[in-house]
Amino acid sequence: MAAPLELSCWGGGWGLPSVHSESLVVMAYAKFSGAPLKVNVIDNTWRGSRGDVPILTTEDNVVSQPAKILNFLRKQKYNADYELSAKQGADTLAYIALLEEKLLPAVLHTFWVESDNYFTVTKPWFASQIPFPLSLILPGRMSRGALNRILLTRGQPPLYHLREVEAQIYRDAKECLNLLSNRLGTSQFFFGNTPSTLDAYVFGFLAPLYKVRFPKIQLQEHLKQLSNLCRFCDDILSSYFRISLGGISPAGQDMVDANLQKLTQLVNKESNLIEKMDDNLRQSPQLPPRKLPTLKLTPAEEENNSFQRLSP
Amino acid sequence: MSLVAEAFVSQIAGKVPFIHVGNQVVSELGPIVQFVKAKGHSLSDGLDEVQKAEMKAYMELVNNMLLTAELYLQWCDEATVGEITHARYGSPYPWPLNHILAYQKQWEIKRKMKAIGWGKKTLDQVLEDVDQCCQALSQRLGTQPYFFNKQPTELDALVFGHLYTILTTQLTNDELSEKVKNYSNLLAFCRRIEQHYFEDRGKGRLS
Repeated sequence: MAAPLELSCWGGGWGLPSVHSESLVVMAYAKFSGAPLKVNVIDNTWRGSRGDVPILTTEDNVVSQPAKILNFLRKQKYNADYELSAKQGADTLAYIALLEEKLLPAVLHTFWVESDNYFTVTKPWFASQIPFPLSLILPGRMSRGALNRILLTRGQPPLYHLREVEAQIYRDAKECLNLLSNRLGTSQFFFGNTPSTLDAYVFGFLAPLYKVRFPKIQLQEHLKQLSNLCRFCDDILSSYFRISLGGISPAGQDMVDANLQKLTQLVNKESNLIEKMDDNLRQSPQLPPRKLPTLKLTPAEEENNSFQRLSP
Repeated sequence: MSLVAEAFVSQIAGKVPFIHVGNQVVSELGPIVQFVKAKGHSLSDGLDEVQKAEMKAYMELVNNMLLTAELYLQWCDEATVGEITHARYGSPYPWPLNHILAYQKQWEIKRKMKAIGWGKKTLDQVLEDVDQCCQALSQRLGTQPYFFNKQPTELDALVFGHLYTILTTQLTNDELSEKVKNYSNLLAFCRRIEQHYFEDRGKGRLS
């Protein structure tokens, strides 16, 4: 029996369920593994902590940090990786390390350190999510934390200077994106047809970079050129994160949508066929002219007509 | 292709790896590999794009986990710091410089650990991470002689360097080397490289 799992994390925007990479990783993993998470978005009230978000709370546990949360979920039998071989599991660890070392510094820089981006997009958004006067303090703290992390892991002592490091981290990030694109190829997910931990991490890091509108966007431009990565993000967003207002469970909603999609495709095919037949008939000179249904229909009307024609 | 592997002999002696070529000195693994590549030797030419991506990913894993764990053990574990690291780091300098520099380095490393989220880790958690990393490497290596089958690559050199250092450096507690010794194919890998490439340096140090 699973105790109710509550996740507190940063909220969404620009079509994403969350704008914060680490929160997004956890949310994606929960969807892939089927863990029932109650998501508490940080908001303007004073409830809840904001420091180490994302945080998973159960009846007797509080777990922070994505890696630990994912481990916890796995122990609770919500495992998205059970179909992976040992080697694929090892590859997952390696690629996650690659993401954290090569891509994360540049993502942090784009969001929190690049002044145009930070002051016009990131800071106002995060400040709008939390109550005053925390909104004056917390974004600044997150920005300093990000800068620290970049300098300490990439800068060369004793002169930790940002300018020397900037060019290098963006080069590394672009290389990392290329590597990911090569690895993904044309498959739907990184390991076959079902998503796993690695997909959650890649999605968590890439989706904010892909969707959030920034003034200074060199890394985003590079990402948009890698069409398979963009397709990967869009697929996950549309299959797993259809923004539902409660009611139908996401899995049920997906099935309904999938069925609806199939039906629509079938109907479209039928109506295309019928159009062709009509064309043939019209062009044939032997048949006497007769009143045929008009062809210039809007798609909705076309479907309705097809429905009527198909009904026995 | 022993130039890259040679770089690790220096690391074993405790200094940052560097190579001296004519008038130039190139240090650290990344630039050395680039330098050697520019001279026309590259270990990873035979790999396709996906394999190159995998190799880079595993190299990052080693840097991320093994290197950080080594630094943690050297500088954040009080027992090791007091008995070994302080003395060793400060030994080239006269008093009081030896103490000052050692404390400064320790403070620097602790700051870095905190920035990447390792600040609150206990020794046990670090050892568990090392174990996970070794398990991943062991699974990737399998029964092959090298990570990408017949030919050694940069990844083999990097892994050898770290594992050899871990296995042969005496520390206050042996748990780190014990973790590595649990994986017999990694041990065999190290022994094989040592015998193949370093046998002219006298008796091997791996028992």
